[in-house]
Order: sequence, then C-alpha cells, then structure tokens
Amino acid sequence: MITELLPAIARGVGLTLYVTGASLVIGGVIGLVLVGAARSPFAIVRGIATLYINVVRVIPPITWLFLIYFGLPQFALRLSTIQAAIIGFSIIASAFMAEIYRSGLLSIPDGQREAAHALGLSAVTTVRHIITPQAFRVALPAIATYGIGLLKDSALASTIGVREITYYAQQSAKQTHEGLLSFVVAGALYIVISLVVALVSRQVDLGLRKKIGVA
Amino acid sequence: MSFSFGTKTPPIALSGEVVVSGLGKSYGATRVLSDVNLVMNEGEVVSVIGPSGAGKSTFLRCLNYLETPTEGTIEIGGARVVAGGKLPDKSSLDRLRRVTGMVFQSFNLFPHLTVMENITLPQRKVLGASKEQAHETANRLLKHVGLPDKANAYPARLSGGQQQRIAIARALALSPKVMLFDEPTSALDPEIGLEVLAVMRDLADEGMTMLVVTHEMHFARDVSDRIMVMGNGGVLEIGPSKQVMSEPQNERTRQFLKAVLDR
Repeated sequence: MITELLPAIARGVGLTLYVTGASLVIGGVIGLVLVGAARSPFAIVRGIATLYINVVRVIPPITWLFLIYFGLPQFALRLSTIQAAIIGFSIIASAFMAEIYRSGLLSIPDGQREAAHALGLSAVTTVRHIITPQAFRVALPAIATYGIGLLKDSALASTIGVREITYYAQQSAKQTHEGLLSFVVAGALYIVISLVVALVSRQVDLGLRKKIGVA
Repeated sequence: MSFSFGTKTPPIALSGEVVVSGLGKSYGATRVLSDVNLVMNEGEVVSVIGPSGAGKSTFLRCLNYLETPTEGTIEIGGARVVAGGKLPDKSSLDRLRRVTGMVFQSFNLFPHLTVMENITLPQRKVLGASKEQAHETANRLLKHVGLPDKANAYPARLSGGQQQRIAIARALALSPKVMLFDEPTSALDPEIGLEVLAVMRDLADEGMTMLVVTHEMHFARDVSDRIMVMGNGGVLEIGPSKQVMSEPQNERTRQFLKAVLDR
C-alpha cells in the first residue's frame, strides 16, 4: 500500500517547497523594507510599517488565503491558487521576518555603529557591510525556525486547491480509504523536509560561530 | 575652589592641531560638560584623567560627534565645527571624522570581518584606496603593532590586547591627524594592557598627536606632555604631566590623585 501512497503524496513535495520557498524569499525581501520603514525618521512611515506588522500577524493564515483567493476576484483580480497562496504567505512572512530582523538588529552592540561612525563610514556602507551581515547571522536560527513554521502552514494552501503534500494526502485518503496511512505519509514528508532545513541551518550556524565566535 | 590655572585657554595659543573652546553639553537642564577649553600642538600627547562621571569620555566623544555637544567650537586638523546641539552638515562631520581616529575601551572590531578586512574596508570606503594600497597599508600597520601574522584571523580568535592593537591599526590606516583614545586599556587585565600601552608609547614617540582618556597614571605621567584633570563635567586643571602629578593645584585633583596613587 505504502509503495503506492508514497509516490502519490510525494507528488506534492514540489509545490510545498515552491510555495514555502517563494513566500519566504518574497516575504524576506518585503520584511527588509518593513524593518527599514519601521526605523524611518518619518513618524508616518514608522506608523504605517508598525501597523502593517502588527495587523498582519494577528490575522490567521487561512483567513489571509481566503481573503486573497476569494476576496480579490471581486476587484476583478483573478489569481491562480498557487499565486494566491504565495501572495498570502508572503504577506504573512514579511511581517514575521521584519520582527526577526528587528531582533537581529537590536542584538548588535552600539559600539559597532560607533566604530563605523568614528571611522567615517557612510550610513549606506555601515548598514550594508557592518550591520546587515551581523544581524543576519544572529537572525539565521530564527529564520530557519520560521521557515519550518511556514512549511507547516503551507498545508493550508490545500484548502484553496494548491496541489501540495496535504492536498494529495486528502486525495489518497478519499480514493484508497487509507486515511491513517495517507496522513502518516504526509506527516513523514513534512518531518523529512524540516529535518533537512534544520540540519542545513545548524551547519551554517555552527560554521559561522566557529569562524567568528559568538556574534 | 582653590587657585587653579589653565582651565581657560590662554589667549596667546589660538592656533594648534586641536583647538577646543567653550565646549559644553547639556541634556535639557542637566549639564554633563561645561566650558572645556583645550589647545594641542601637533605631536602633543595629552592625558585626560579624573574620577568616573567627570565627563572625560563625553568630552572625547564630542570631538568626533559620537556625542553631540550643545555649545562651543571644535577645530581639529583644519576641520572646524561650531556646536549647536545637532549633527553638523555632512561635509563638516565627514571632515571631522576624517582627521580623527578613535580607539574604544571595548575595541569594537567588526567581528564578522577578518583582521585584514577590518583594516582595509574603511580605507577602501572612506579613502577610496585600491585593494593593493589598502593591503599594503594594513600589512605595514600590522607589523607596526606587532601582529603581522594575524591578518587572516577573526577578532574572536584574538586576545583583548591583540584586538586593541588591531583597533589602533585600523584607526591609523586612515591617516588621522589626531588619535582619540577612550580608556583603551580599561577592559584589559593589567599585564595585557602593557602591550597596548607600548604601542601607544611608540605612536607618541613617532609624533602622533594624541588625546588619551585613561586611568593609567604611569602612562599619563611618563608619556603625555600634559595632563588635563576633569571633574564634574569641567576641567579642574591642566598642566605639564609631572607638575600635575607632583604638585596638583586643585584640591579635588589632589584628592583624586591620592586615591589612585595610594592604592
């Protein structure tokens, strides 16, 4: 049985990874803009960024998906299920990533900025060469943890019909009546992907720690 | 207050490598620095001593605008800024930071960059030096501070004394006219501190203009030309090192020196 179920459900791995990965990357980039905006000298920009970050995080992911997939077409914006899922998860990820970056930034001692100022480095150079690389290193474990969380959330995309792991598990369960086994297989696939992500991030983290000591 | 001399700049010495006049800083009604005057000639070494909370570090950090003074003027190596409680225009600020090099108590090397990168990055970004030039300068300075074999090490792999010597090299690489030292040995154990003091002594011998906030009384007496004693946000007295150490004019200075020398 499993020899039939596994390949059937594993067909969804590609879209699970695609939705998760694309959302993490897009959300990660928007998160950078957000964290910059949240530290803007202009109160209005700061206010908007902070409001966005806080509102986005308290709305459940599935509500976002339905809002986008079922709501946007009312404004004549027709999206594929995959597009809707990626947009939804990107919005959510951007807010969480902004918070992760913020904690990374806060972890950098004032002395780093002071040294950069005293040396006469420009603001752009300081952010690009001094602050960001260090903040990223601090944020890396949190980013990996969030990525795994997003991987699990991506199962929700099945509710709007994205053919990812959980979608195929549901299909198999219906067709074969092997409900338990279908979802055990799905669960196992999530575990394997999570383990790989955790392992890679741990290796990268260890490598950085070894090189530069505890940042 | 007993007789003290030199807290005001004598009118004859209005030119110099460093001319600070009437420098002050307040946070609202709280005054942390008031009416600091100092003229330094090229190649002169002045140590700033005094009890903690005296405003020594604040004074030093005002000179390159890590702290923003609220009054007075600063002239260093041709760069001139009139304090106004906010950052000066970008070109004045850049010039001021260009002529000053600073060494911090906590070293503040960039931990994600190698020693070589720590020294070359500012040269390339601030001076526009070529990669080869920057490397050449870095290697020369690493030799100078006695760490020619550490170019590829990351700061975390170095002792505190080594990190501080690298920090000195990093500042020197930008050819500052004046070096500002903010308690450069306070974070180091006394033995390790000596290697940093030795580098600073060499630097002084080579004619670098140096302003050193320090608790190292031997360094203050033996290496610096003059000592400026601060207390309560102002200058208590300033004079030739040996004279300040042996015949302090100000009562508060006497108390302070007794406390540090008797231990």
